[in-house]
Amino acid sequence: MSGTELFVAVIKIAIVLGFLLNMAAITTWADRRQSAMIQDRVGPNRAVIYLPAWLVRAVVLGGGVLVAAAIAVPFWAKHPGLESARITTGIEIAILVVWTTLLLISARVRKDSDGVAPYRDGADSAFEERVAQLAPRTYFYAGLIAQLAALFFAQLAPAGFIVRGSSFGPGVAGSLAALAILLAAGYSAGRVGEDPVPLRLAGMLHALADAVKLIWKEDLRPRGADRLLFALAPMLAMFPALVTMAVVPFGSTLCFIDFDRDKVLSFADLAHLAPVVGPSGACSAGQLAVSLSIANLDVGLLYVFAIAGTGVIGAAIAGWASNNKWALLGGLRATSQMVSYEVALGLSIVGMFMVAGTVNLQKLVDWQGQNAWGIFVQPLAFVLFLVALVAETKRVPFDQPEGESEIIAGYFLEYSGMKFGMFYTGEYIEFVFSSVLLVTLFFGGYHLPFLDPDGLRITLGSDLIYELKLTHLAVSAIHIATFFGKTILMVWLQLFIRWTLPRFRYDQLMRLGWTRLLPLALLNIVLTGAAVLALESAGEPLGNAVAIAADISQSLVALAALGGSVLFVTGLLEPSRTKRITASSAAQMALAEGGIRAGKMQA
Amino acid sequence: MATDNMTWTKAASKTPVPTHTIARPSRTLGVQSYVPELLKGTALTMRHFFTNAKERLLGQKRDPVLDNFEGGITTIEYPEERRIYPERFRGLHRLTVRADDSPRCVACLCCSTACPAQCIHIEPAEYADGDERRGYERFPAAFVIDELRCVFCGFCVEACPCDAIRMDTGLHPVPYDSRDQFIYDKTQLLALTAPDGTRRTDNARHEPGDPTHPGLSRDHDAH
Repeated sequence: MSGTELFVAVIKIAIVLGFLLNMAAITTWADRRQSAMIQDRVGPNRAVIYLPAWLVRAVVLGGGVLVAAAIAVPFWAKHPGLESARITTGIEIAILVVWTTLLLISARVRKDSDGVAPYRDGADSAFEERVAQLAPRTYFYAGLIAQLAALFFAQLAPAGFIVRGSSFGPGVAGSLAALAILLAAGYSAGRVGEDPVPLRLAGMLHALADAVKLIWKEDLRPRGADRLLFALAPMLAMFPALVTMAVVPFGSTLCFIDFDRDKVLSFADLAHLAPVVGPSGACSAGQLAVSLSIANLDVGLLYVFAIAGTGVIGAAIAGWASNNKWALLGGLRATSQMVSYEVALGLSIVGMFMVAGTVNLQKLVDWQGQNAWGIFVQPLAFVLFLVALVAETKRVPFDQPEGESEIIAGYFLEYSGMKFGMFYTGEYIEFVFSSVLLVTLFFGGYHLPFLDPDGLRITLGSDLIYELKLTHLAVSAIHIATFFGKTILMVWLQLFIRWTLPRFRYDQLMRLGWTRLLPLALLNIVLTGAAVLALESAGEPLGNAVAIAADISQSLVALAALGGSVLFVTGLLEPSRTKRITASSAAQMALAEGGIRAGKMQA
Repeated sequence: MATDNMTWTKAASKTPVPTHTIARPSRTLGVQSYVPELLKGTALTMRHFFTNAKERLLGQKRDPVLDNFEGGITTIEYPEERRIYPERFRGLHRLTVRADDSPRCVACLCCSTACPAQCIHIEPAEYADGDERRGYERFPAAFVIDELRCVFCGFCVEACPCDAIRMDTGLHPVPYDSRDQFIYDKTQLLALTAPDGTRRTDNARHEPGDPTHPGLSRDHDAH
């Protein structure tokens, strides 16, 4: 292993660790915040840092300049043959920034005609008043139409209009996007509130404050506890959760040009990312491939199960070493539950291996990208896997290892300070990693429908409907963002399960695991085997039909994602219907006082 | 359900009581598989989440008492938002004062006698020799209310002949760490004010010499 490869590996480890630890803290926050929002409360929001207004302005403006530069500079590079697509991309970004900014201004400023938005800011200037003439929804629809129109007109542009081999057209388009971002950042900097500006990060600072508090709290050890095991258990609970992510690819393989022609990755090569790659995504001869997983193991998923399975040891040892019968009961519950569901978890995914023919996660993800997402190939396995996964991470409705009413807090009952914090962090990392697994196995990993390594290509069967070439850098960036975005979306969905469902009784949990999930997982294996055999023996026509079905599934995902986003934004911008009820004496009193107003947040 | 041996219940009437049998809820496969109910429940929590998230994002948070949005939840975010208490809300006690800022209380023990929770402790004391009030009225050397014991019935206020104790502070006892923090002594009770910040009452105390109330005297011979 060369020094450069070591450096790249360290960078990848830093990315994964940073993502997992930050997500653990953010998920702790989101868990509480989401429950609060369901009940119409702000949730944890009291941790605050007061910043001077000039600093906030500088950060907003500086961030805008950085983003603008990061977008504009690559557009001035020469990529022969991609001019048209790159001009389109630049203009699309510019249009997106413009309509989003106008929408946000209108949403903050506009007062509805019936006065249902009493808390809105009000216009600061004549410009804002003019912007607020139109409702936020109008900006959204206009923006959508503009984006589609830009896509369409770029296709109509005559071929001679675009100078091949010149970076002038794409550069101007990129600069246009950068200008839009700069204007938006400058405008936002001008709207920064009065000095000092409270920085709350939507309550996310609360998680930070909690961690600081945990570190400084007294670390108690109960009398009679096993000194060594008691200290070891939190580490054993946290470590497996952290290392399982090592085999998961979080982006497509990067191709670097062998700049110094020594066939080994060196620092000189790292600066030369290949401008474009072929439609298969494989690096061409002479290029150096860097896979975006820490270790691209062939045993892939087996490694994940092996390491994740040891996580239970931490819980078991914690329960044993605490010298507390409730903690011991919690540890036993955790152990038996995790051992039981490990079986169903492992068996439910076997069908996916049979179809894709590999346990290597990189290959599994690529197979899904080329064919169809796992959830369409193995719907039953997805449900079984999801249920087993929730049980495996010990979360509601399978949180029997913790039961306030039965065994107090479960296996970490006697832990305090940061040792408790480590259990909690480990649990949330496991939770985030469970979402990573779901995304990797069933939601196509970093793949987006119709996004090939060389650009956007919409096909149905063998018919090409639309094509937009993209650079390797752009596609890689989209892939990495897609992976982390999908993971966050999955975490968000899983949190809803927690806030909705009541918990099972312990015997119900065991019965579900052994008498329902396990037979269904076995049945899934049998059915999948039969289907695979049938497909192999049926030959060409059925194979083509399956390929078209796979493309249809991709189109369904794309349509659902697009339609869902449009519905989401329109729903968000639609004023909610209210009725004012002043029948009760309490309401009449409140009305006389001018309504209930939020006071200043205080600790 | 006929209980012949239960003699303390009323005898069953001769005519049969009209009854109807409630059908057992059918446990269909859909119910037992848990999946449709799971989706329904998740959809409900999601709807609340999105409605509330929308209100906050657009800066349209509703008044939790006045506005009810359809199918939504309105939660008062205590302590940032507080319900407006009615004017006659019985909150923490306070002791009212005379024009010279001494307590109006004459330590007659009416309030502590009336108190059903026995949470008021008063130590009456005589004024010093030569004080014009000596022998005519007493003053509380100690006036202690255990707000943890108080049942907020307001009997003490009604019993007081001098309008010396009131419960119009508009405060409720906040949770403290220990019991002794709920015990309010004379200085604390005197320091509490009405919601408008005043400590005196409109109901003036008439001292001897008041032209509107002739005949008031502290002279022993006058009684």
